[in-house]
Amino acid sequence: MENLREKIEKLLLKVKSPSRYIGGELNSVVKDKSKVDVRFAFCFPDAYDVGMSHIGMKILYSLKNARENWWCERVFAPWTDFEELMRENHIPLYGLESLDPIKDFDFIGFTVQYELCYTNILNMLDLAGLNVLAAERNENDPVVIAGGPCVCNPEPLCDFIDLFVIGEGEEVNIELMELYEEMKKSGEYTKKAFLLRAAGIKGIYVPSLYNVSYLEDGRIEKVVPVCDGVPEKVTKRIIKDLDKVFYPESFVVPFSEIVHDRAVVEVLRGCIRGCRFCQAGFIYRPFREKSTGTIVNEAKALCESTGYEELSLASLSTSDHSDIEEMLTEMTGYTEGERVNLALPSMRIDRFNKNLMEQLSKVRKSGLTFAPEAGTQRLRDVINKNIDEEEIMSACRTAFEGGYAGVKLYFMMGLPTETDEDIMGIADLAKRIADLYFNMKNRPRGQKLSISISCATFVPKPFTPFQFEPQISIDEINRRQKLLLDSTKGKRYINVSYHNFRISILEAALAKGDRRLGAVIKRAWERGCKFDGWDEMYRYDQWVNAFADTETDIDFYSHRAMEYDEVAPWDHLDYMIDKSFFVRENKKAKEGKVTKSCREACSGCGVNKASGRECFG
Amino acid sequence: MDKKNIRVFFEKKDRAIYISHLDLLRTMQRALKRSGLPVWYSEGFNPRIYLNFPLALSLGTEGVREPMDMAIVEDVSFEEITEGLNSACPEGIRIVSAAYPVHPNKDIGFAEYETLFSGNTEALKAAVSGYISRESIKVMKHSKKKGMIEVDIKPHVNILSVSECENGIKVTLRLPAGNELNLNCAVFTESFLEYCNSCEVVAELCCAKRTNILCADGTSFE
Ligand code: SF4
Repeated sequence: MENLREKIEKLLLKVKSPSRYIGGELNSVVKDKSKVDVRFAFCFPDAYDVGMSHIGMKILYSLKNARENWWCERVFAPWTDFEELMRENHIPLYGLESLDPIKDFDFIGFTVQYELCYTNILNMLDLAGLNVLAAERNENDPVVIAGGPCVCNPEPLCDFIDLFVIGEGEEVNIELMELYEEMKKSGEYTKKAFLLRAAGIKGIYVPSLYNVSYLEDGRIEKVVPVCDGVPEKVTKRIIKDLDKVFYPESFVVPFSEIVHDRAVVEVLRGCIRGCRFCQAGFIYRPFREKSTGTIVNEAKALCESTGYEELSLASLSTSDHSDIEEMLTEMTGYTEGERVNLALPSMRIDRFNKNLMEQLSKVRKSGLTFAPEAGTQRLRDVINKNIDEEEIMSACRTAFEGGYAGVKLYFMMGLPTETDEDIMGIADLAKRIADLYFNMKNRPRGQKLSISISCATFVPKPFTPFQFEPQISIDEINRRQKLLLDSTKGKRYINVSYHNFRISILEAALAKGDRRLGAVIKRAWERGCKFDGWDEMYRYDQWVNAFADTETDIDFYSHRAMEYDEVAPWDHLDYMIDKSFFVRENKKAKEGKVTKSCREACSGCGVNKASGRECFG
Repeated sequence: MDKKNIRVFFEKKDRAIYISHLDLLRTMQRALKRSGLPVWYSEGFNPRIYLNFPLALSLGTEGVREPMDMAIVEDVSFEEITEGLNSACPEGIRIVSAAYPVHPNKDIGFAEYETLFSGNTEALKAAVSGYISRESIKVMKHSKKKGMIEVDIKPHVNILSVSECENGIKVTLRLPAGNELNLNCAVFTESFLEYCNSCEVVAELCCAKRTNILCADGTSFE
């Protein structure tokens, strides 16, 4: 019989970027199958280029492979050209390390980073040769699990996934796999028995062990466990000491170019800001840092083992690290000597001072991006983006003085309480930045000013103060987009671009959805939807049909305001933040009142009590 | 010490044949970086490890002795370069030797290939004779200036040997390479398979391998 590898190799020269499908990359972990007890297929439900850039996958991959008798492999969604050939030639989805079908693994785990990959999860299960519905899979099929930020509201995925990992995965993944190994060895394992015992592990949510009932108007009445030993609320896991948590010493280095092709060190988790639209800012609380020493050591180890020419210090807000200047000094000391570029994503505009600027420009000159998010101070206060115009201007001045002639500004449209004035405020802000530039004597010479405005549509997300908010209607989005275009007319240095808002509408529905959306997702997938996050692949019409086929009203999810006391689909998951805090913050937003950053004052979100540790000091 | 140019020869096989030419550049730069060898960086705002491949190898073709030029800034022996780089190379890439370059790139005139086709041995052998004894062998070729153009490759395809092997035949050949005129091995394999198809001979390409690169005068490119 022809083996799978031969079958795959016969097709590779027919597809784009074939090195993505055959493994063998530097630092990929290959083990002797006969000495392995638990096999884990770590699936990223998007293309290789995207998935390989993801830091969470790298952490868990190395962590699991550190156990001699466990083998974790990488799996990505094949691009459509290869998928077609796989289906034609009966090649099941396989792990990149062993090139074995993942259908025969013990676990299939998805990391769910954004809502728009849900159809890819179904497609990958199907490509693996498994039934997409958890209830239809049998005893010997792998346990299908999922984690990542999106599973803070996992309800739309409940039909497809056996269990969810809630919160940070480093410890709970190990506990889960240990339980599995133990039950397999002692002969106690049945999938049912395993799921029941797994539900007892803190941070594990087994959806089939909960019943959801609905009110007549379609809202949720309650969610209750079906039996004893299953917690009413599943509390997320966190790593208490980030400085001591496992971090990989090497990354798999891809051959083909990926989105972020570089060494990455995670410098902190959580965020001290409380931007009211930002889910990450809340679900990753509390704020924890790694020490400068740890960061520098991890960076060195990674650079040496990968040979990468770029290093990124990643987090939600790297400039909020309490030791940022010292850390950058030490880091640039190393990277300059090694001729490694230092990339600093997630820099806060108000921390963008001369000193940081110099550290940065020593290394590389690239465009600058800022995210004021809203065009007027009033609206910035509503969303609690604590930046004022003076700070924006001074950051731009520093940038211009530093020789940059281009700035890119990110905004959101359709934010709660937004008026036309706020939209025109975006254009006015851009014009004032231009005035600043033209009035500067020492502005960069020989370069043309360019101000790019990139506008996304606001998507209300669970576990944020704006979770109660509706998204604005399509007509209204259209009108506001046109208004912004009109108000920037005639200014050639301003360039406005939009995200596809038809994608944002679906994103809102899926983010705030309940279990009934499972049928819609399945239908959309059956209608050919996949790679929904890719503009060129997104098929809004098919999603509309899928909602219609299943008699589900998308507006109920995306365009309906929720009551404060309404049971939200995700209320039985506990992200350690009191719902009353979100209500309080929502009311403050409506009053235009800001909340201080956690470092200035604790605003009592509850995470300190829930986690049993003080956030600062 | 001033910088010294070094030419290494490497092997590219197994899964490494799916690394594209552009990706190979990055792959080797990273391997050099990991090796810790005292390599020379290009100057300018974004210094990069200097690397140059005298003759690109196309995706899917194996290489037995592919040249790669680099430079060093400290004294290291050829063995140290070979070993250092080998300890850092990914699966499928292996350095076979290192030396000072003898020929400039422009001396490259030919490349030799070994191709394996599976099918009925006799039918395939006959097909090779038929293929090569035609008046002309027309193929479509991409030209930088004119887009797709039809060219006759007959004068350029030099079949060196045809022999039997397991499940089929082995054909070795020489094709022009370098700046003047460069023919990929695929130009031959594809046109041959097309020919087989037209005379209903079942054939499949199993392997294409570049075995050597030659100067215009027929000596080995060193
Ligand atoms: S407990 Fe206080 S300091 Fe800690 S995250 Fe919540 S609001 Fe911030």
